[in-house]
Amino acid sequence: MKVTLEARTGRIQPYLLLVPALAILIGFLLFPLMWNVYLALHDVSLTTILGNWKYVGLKNFDNLIHDHDFHTSLQVSLIFVGGSVALQFFVGMVLAVVLNQQIRGSNTFRALFIIPWTVSAVITGFSFKFIFNDSFGIMNYGLGQLGLAPVSWLSDPGTVVWTLIIANMWHGTPFTVIFLTAGLFSINPVVYEAARIDGATKIKSFLYITLPLLRPFVIINLILITMWSVNFFDLILVMTNGGPLFSSTTSSLFMYRQGFEFGLLSKGAAAGFLLIAMNLVLAYSYIKLLRSKEKTIEIRQS
Amino acid sequence: MILIDKTLIYFVIATYLFITLAPLLWVLSTSFKPNQEAISFPPKFLPDSPTFDNYLFVLTDPKLVTSLINSLVVSIGSTGLSVVVSALGGYAFARFEFKGKNLLISTILGLFMIPVVINIIPLYIMLANIGLLNSLLALVLTFQILIIPLNIFLLKNYFETIPKELEEAALIDGCSKMRAFWHVIVPISMPGFLIAAILSFRFSWNEFVLPIVLSNRPDVMVFQVALYQFISLYRIDWGYLTAGINIALIPVVVLMLFFQKRMIRGLTLGAVRG
Repeated sequence: MKVTLEARTGRIQPYLLLVPALAILIGFLLFPLMWNVYLALHDVSLTTILGNWKYVGLKNFDNLIHDHDFHTSLQVSLIFVGGSVALQFFVGMVLAVVLNQQIRGSNTFRALFIIPWTVSAVITGFSFKFIFNDSFGIMNYGLGQLGLAPVSWLSDPGTVVWTLIIANMWHGTPFTVIFLTAGLFSINPVVYEAARIDGATKIKSFLYITLPLLRPFVIINLILITMWSVNFFDLILVMTNGGPLFSSTTSSLFMYRQGFEFGLLSKGAAAGFLLIAMNLVLAYSYIKLLRSKEKTIEIRQS
Repeated sequence: MILIDKTLIYFVIATYLFITLAPLLWVLSTSFKPNQEAISFPPKFLPDSPTFDNYLFVLTDPKLVTSLINSLVVSIGSTGLSVVVSALGGYAFARFEFKGKNLLISTILGLFMIPVVINIIPLYIMLANIGLLNSLLALVLTFQILIIPLNIFLLKNYFETIPKELEEAALIDGCSKMRAFWHVIVPISMPGFLIAAILSFRFSWNEFVLPIVLSNRPDVMVFQVALYQFISLYRIDWGYLTAGINIALIPVVVLMLFFQKRMIRGLTLGAVRG
């Protein structure tokens, strides 16, 4: 019986194999994503979560756009994402290149460098909250030893974002190191040999061979770390809970706080919708960047 | 390719090694201090009289022990589920030609890019309405969205490295394609499943966003959330907390260090070649 069933299902077999994965992805990822729009157009709060929801049109979006704290959160996001991506990418690139030189023990170093990435965001948050504590943190102790004034790492609204960026750099840089290392591995050493024979300097071969060949890795890496930074909020939740006031509340944390601190689920959903839009715009512009660079290189080659 | 001076290279490496390890070593050292000494100023680099009391507290507190068990149950459950589901999906992509294959592949890759944070509010409302809120099952199921896309690509690429001749021999012997999969592919794909399993475990064990929203009742709390809860309510006992941090770190750090090389290969295979 099994054989006949197989014969009959031969064509749809690959689809059958994919059913469990697709069912989960549609049920818990795609459906909620779409449903978010519906929720944003209704009035849902923690108290009415099981009841009938009133249709309110664009009221949630209107509230959002006129919410001063939301404006703040956009600014905070911009600094947090910009700072995190720039730092992680620069440091990650330097380390990947450095580890790719023929040096002893590079595998061991790589293994050690990965550790922060295996540490959860919550634990990273706690560790840095402890290190950057205003009164007993070891960071301020170190500054004192150097004869510098202590810094209010987590309680000064102007500084707190930068403290978060440092913690995020510690946590996120290893991914860029691993990713770009894989990219460097994929480049055939013969290429460098040929360049060397043609008289290219090391700097030149890095600029004109390594970087162009690494480009797809760089773009994907930038897309991923940007999106992760836009949506990263567990670290911030643990370290500052978005405070003082809203000075370290990024847009994703704003969404969470609206939904679960103030119980305004549909206002949070509206913020979530804008967050999706932000992600799409970012991803699209990176891909555009990738394409346009490809074109200039084609032109140069022809 | 030698780009820069060796001394400079080692200087850069040593600096970043310090940045990487210092916070962890500081937390490790603190975990052996009594709560009072943990926040003494000026800080003491090593505990005056090392004590295991903090670890004892974490490992005997009923709420924390429950959450540790919950974490283990959820992580193992979601690892098992994701490996099975992703193996089936990965096999479909690796060995079948069918309509819409490329579209499905890029859709799944695209889904991987969607950050889970965006979905927490609709997921919360959805699970509340189907009565799954505050259950470990909800976590096992929702964790899949973090893991399945990555694992499907990882296993698809792994299956593709297996020569087709192996299955063809079995097919000629009268095996069906599914039996060939079960008897030929599965046994020799264990290394691939291992990478997928370790990655799944790491994601599940460390996940915080979904559990803090979907299950923060004491009896279904996971360890990462329990750490967050037990400190933010009262004043923070840094001795206990640092001990908790180290306990949470042990499983993932050990796994990652042990399988580091395979991990790098597996991750980049899954992420890049897809």
